[in-house]
Amino acid sequence: MKRLFFISVLALGLAVPFVGALAHHGWTWTTGGNIDLTGIIKTVRLGNPHGILKIDVEGEEWTAEVGQPWRNKRAGLVEGDLAEGVEIRVIGEPAADMSERLLKVERLFLGKREYVLYPGRD
Amino acid sequence: MEVLFAALEGTSPAQALRGSRWAYAGVNAVHIFAIALLVGSVVPLNLRLLGAWRGISREAVVRVLAPVAASGLILALLTGTLLFSVRAREYSGIGFLQLKLTFIAIGVLSALALCLSHGFLLKDAPRMRLVGHAVLSTVCWLGALACGRLIAFAGD
Repeated sequence: MKRLFFISVLALGLAVPFVGALAHHGWTWTTGGNIDLTGIIKTVRLGNPHGILKIDVEGEEWTAEVGQPWRNKRAGLVEGDLAEGVEIRVIGEPAADMSERLLKVERLFLGKREYVLYPGRD
Repeated sequence: MEVLFAALEGTSPAQALRGSRWAYAGVNAVHIFAIALLVGSVVPLNLRLLGAWRGISREAVVRVLAPVAASGLILALLTGTLLFSVRAREYSGIGFLQLKLTFIAIGVLSALALCLSHGFLLKDAPRMRLVGHAVLSTVCWLGALACGRLIAFAGD
């Protein structure tokens, strides 16, 4: 009885991290391949734990995850760059389920200038 | 409620955390430390109530682990409130967070009820009462832990 209880607690503990492998953190939830979208920024919400843009891409609304404040700043973005109404081109990995219209941005363009959020990825 | 959450987002600690690099990471780390203290002491405490380690007196186990669990809980509530304040309106709508808070409330109430009826050291508590609490408490705290982790993977 005691042993059974120990084993079940242990099993639950081991199972928890795998249940968690769903989305958002890291790159496990993305496809591994990049897509390239251009649209107009509709809403902006920056700050920890990561920034989120809603982008109108030819009538379709996409959600683009940009970096935390330090990552955006390192890429060269300053306050006000990512703003409503601005045209933006984003390149990054979409969620494996494309119907979510969600991507994690690796680099982006405002006008001709490129801002690289994840220098190690392409 | 919405107004309250918006006000929480506007407080200066929330604004500072939203824009910071190391402070946000630090509060996150302390939150995890607090959960480690809490769950790490609740699990062996409940195992003792269920009948493990009969060679060590229940009183001795409770004396060590209950205050550690309570300290972990207080620290987790403080850091958790700070993390919540960064995006209170968004987070308040996440089902996993609501479920987590429910687990926490039941876990705390169960412990308080047990202490109120049998004293902090649980001297005269009947065995079935202890077993009932231990099972409920273990479900609540492991449930809270799992739901807490899933918050980062849910939402929009």
